[in-house]
Amino acid sequence: MRLLAAVGILAASCCAQDREAPPPLGTPKAFALPAGDTFTLKNGMKVTLAQYGSVPLVSIRADIAFGKANESADQVWLSTVTLKLMQEGTETMSAAQVANEAARMGGQLQTGPGTDQSTVSIDVLGEFAVDAVKLIADVLQHPKLPESELERVRNDALRQLAVQLATPQAQASQAFTAQMFPGHPYGRMFPTESQLKAYGIGDIRKLYAENIGAQRTHLYVVGRFDPAVRKAIEAAFEGWPAGPAVKRTPPAPVAKGQLVLLDRPDAVQSTMRIGLPISVKPGDPDYLPMQVTNTLLGGSFTSRITNNIREQKGYTYSPFSQVTNRYRTSYWQESADVTTKVTADSIHEILFEIDRLRKDPPDAKELKGVQNYMGGIFVLQNTSNQGIIGQLSFIDLHGLKDDFLKTYVQKVNAVTRQDVQRITETYLNPARMTYVVVGDKGKIEESLKPYPPK
Amino acid sequence: MSHLTRTAVCIAALGAGLTCSAAAQPAAAKFTVPITYYKLPNGLKVALSHDSTAPLVVVGVYYNIGFRIEPRNRTGFAHLFEHLMFEGSKNLPKGEFDKLIEGNGGISNGSTRFDFTNYFEVVPAHVLETMLWGEADRMRNLTVTEESLKNQQGVVGNEVKVNVLNQPYGGFPWLDMPQYANKNWFNAHNFYGDLKDIEAATLADAKSFSQTYYAPNNAALALVGDFDEAQAKKWIEKYFAAIPSSKLPPQPDLSEPRQEAEQRVSKTDKLANKPALGIAYQMPPRLTPEHYAMVLLDQMLIQGDDSLLTQELVKKRGYTDSVDGGINLLGSQFNYNGPMLWIFNLIHDSSVKPDQILAAADPIIEGLSEKPVTKALLDRALVKLRSQFYQSLTQFGGFGRADLMASFALFDDNPALINSLEDNLRKVTPELALKTAKEYLRRTNRTVLVVEAGGAAKAPASTGGAK
Repeated sequence: MRLLAAVGILAASCCAQDREAPPPLGTPKAFALPAGDTFTLKNGMKVTLAQYGSVPLVSIRADIAFGKANESADQVWLSTVTLKLMQEGTETMSAAQVANEAARMGGQLQTGPGTDQSTVSIDVLGEFAVDAVKLIADVLQHPKLPESELERVRNDALRQLAVQLATPQAQASQAFTAQMFPGHPYGRMFPTESQLKAYGIGDIRKLYAENIGAQRTHLYVVGRFDPAVRKAIEAAFEGWPAGPAVKRTPPAPVAKGQLVLLDRPDAVQSTMRIGLPISVKPGDPDYLPMQVTNTLLGGSFTSRITNNIREQKGYTYSPFSQVTNRYRTSYWQESADVTTKVTADSIHEILFEIDRLRKDPPDAKELKGVQNYMGGIFVLQNTSNQGIIGQLSFIDLHGLKDDFLKTYVQKVNAVTRQDVQRITETYLNPARMTYVVVGDKGKIEESLKPYPPK
Repeated sequence: MSHLTRTAVCIAALGAGLTCSAAAQPAAAKFTVPITYYKLPNGLKVALSHDSTAPLVVVGVYYNIGFRIEPRNRTGFAHLFEHLMFEGSKNLPKGEFDKLIEGNGGISNGSTRFDFTNYFEVVPAHVLETMLWGEADRMRNLTVTEESLKNQQGVVGNEVKVNVLNQPYGGFPWLDMPQYANKNWFNAHNFYGDLKDIEAATLADAKSFSQTYYAPNNAALALVGDFDEAQAKKWIEKYFAAIPSSKLPPQPDLSEPRQEAEQRVSKTDKLANKPALGIAYQMPPRLTPEHYAMVLLDQMLIQGDDSLLTQELVKKRGYTDSVDGGINLLGSQFNYNGPMLWIFNLIHDSSVKPDQILAAADPIIEGLSEKPVTKALLDRALVKLRSQFYQSLTQFGGFGRADLMASFALFDDNPALINSLEDNLRKVTPELALKTAKEYLRRTNRTVLVVEAGGAAKAPASTGGAK
């Protein structure tokens, strides 16, 4: 009775004919990308400095062309362990001294293992920029890589491995990438315990020596800082040997229609990854059309898939699609955690939205909204210290031209309705996608028989 | 943190360097935040802070209703209602406000916290008037239907599943700990809500909740960014001034009794394969000298690699890879208004027992109650806070600044408090830190939560990865 009595009470004031239109927009303000100054040291290390912002903070980050992509099949997470061990002190400072020195400047020195590139970074109060450069230089060039700490760091890695593999999201991502990149580091997200246990200090020091050096490093300094930083960088890094050249070995990805069902007994949700490798790389003519298409299809809150399976059906909380760009390799995926009993229904709706866009272009208004959204996100991405570094780093990794950022908004706005339909039809063929589902097998297996579609 | 938040998608959408986190960890600064503060006759608090660094504006509308005081038979309702605020208003049917925001280059979200529920947009500066119009529309004329209520009950149910029910350590310790540590129902119930309570919510509940709490005299509006102040004031007057105020119910008694004995509790997490330990201490009242001292003690004990417990438990003993925690895990040390916990937590191996970990941690914690901290330790805590404060101000297009301004407006009627934080922290002496540690870092003031790993590391057969 309560339900019936309540119907319409809140809705009573809502009638279309009474609706007021939103006030008109103001005039857009100009947005200028922050100016950066990039130079190369004699040893090949690249440096980019950019003064930005109003608060006295600076972000310093060294990107190293080194990561999981450099691991052989018997070295999974060796790069991770190596980078962790780089936080355990230098030839002249103990780990505690490094931590205290970083804290004295208001920061924390962090190493970030990555796939195509890894980072060593610190964010500090601007007044400490010079000291922070010296600290990061010491950690990069003279890490102690102490054997005494290896067992502890290894044990931490074993614990983290176990914790991650208990999540359905890690299980799904592992299976998904393994299917797309067989035999390549991109497809080896997690090591086995026995692998981790086998790494010795010699393996780590060798990996460091073979992969970390000036030629593979690009240092970014963005924020408010003393211009003396430039000299400090030259002094701190010019003695670093050039080291190994950048080495990259892109995979030959596999796109084939298949269902991978991993049992998670009693799971209340099914965790899904649906997608495939795509041949569009950053810088290709279809790159921004692909980004626009993804944003419209599943990459924003108002996107078609999210609107369907969340806002209309209530199957899930945070579905999203994305294009991941590795070096010379990209893939598209839709990720979602959906209530168990609507697992197949959710896939059905996702494919319905893909198929709809493969057949018919979006209308002009919908496309314009997506283009405006991407223009706004672009401003947000370029108005924080770390965001700016992220953008510059992306350009560097993918070898893009200098005008990539300058022409970004203009090129996004040039994408047509027909482009979006063509992109979906060309690159997002459901019959060639991998469908990974982690869920209660007994409850969902039968309903998943139609997938992949023929 | 995406918990109790309308959507987690903005993390993915924004990519490098930006997150949805509302977890400002402020201290104070030489950088002074410009603040204009006033109230409309209907009681709406307005705090403005101009910053022309980027052509963006943050609009934050904060309602003085959090999950703490939601109805007793409707756990999770404050959060469900947050979702309903996106389900349409008189001039913006379901989905239209989102389209207006994203379609004009902005992002938005909402979050439910202990003592407020917020709604915010980060938009290009020229879209400000449109956002004010839209926020006013849903403050005044929310239009939820049976269909959209049912839809959002499904969405929220899935949010609880993905963040808690199907997640190892789901809800640990941010959702669990207040339920164990606190005695007063308002502080100790399940804030995400029992699924059956969420499913039982009705439109009548929503109407009553909306009429009671979602009124201008129970709200604060914060703007940060590149706007003309005189113009913004005119628009605020135009769209918000005519919204009637409500008669607010008296605030219930939120107080917690002084804790006199250590509590030990345990739970089994059937999805986790490593045990975990959480420890919570009742905090001093907010914005007292002791509160500021605890803000610094938190920095000394667990924030950063240099912190005392990180050095002891991670670096020296190898019991865990990370000591996490802080004051108010669903926000910052300032954006709440009632009893609060200081929590630290860690995941460890089953070969290490909780009592071993406590035996290593206790001399460190209790050392702070035995003799005054050194000047060097205190100075390092202050500089870490100053740096984090600046980061919070610039976070997410300026959202962190709006969050503090709105919180200080709502709870203290004084958003300019944002500019006195550093002075108040600097007043903390080693003697005050000692006195604070003696009273608040007592073992008898804490709750120890032992999480047993009930899921024996059963990952499904790996189809990829290594061998």
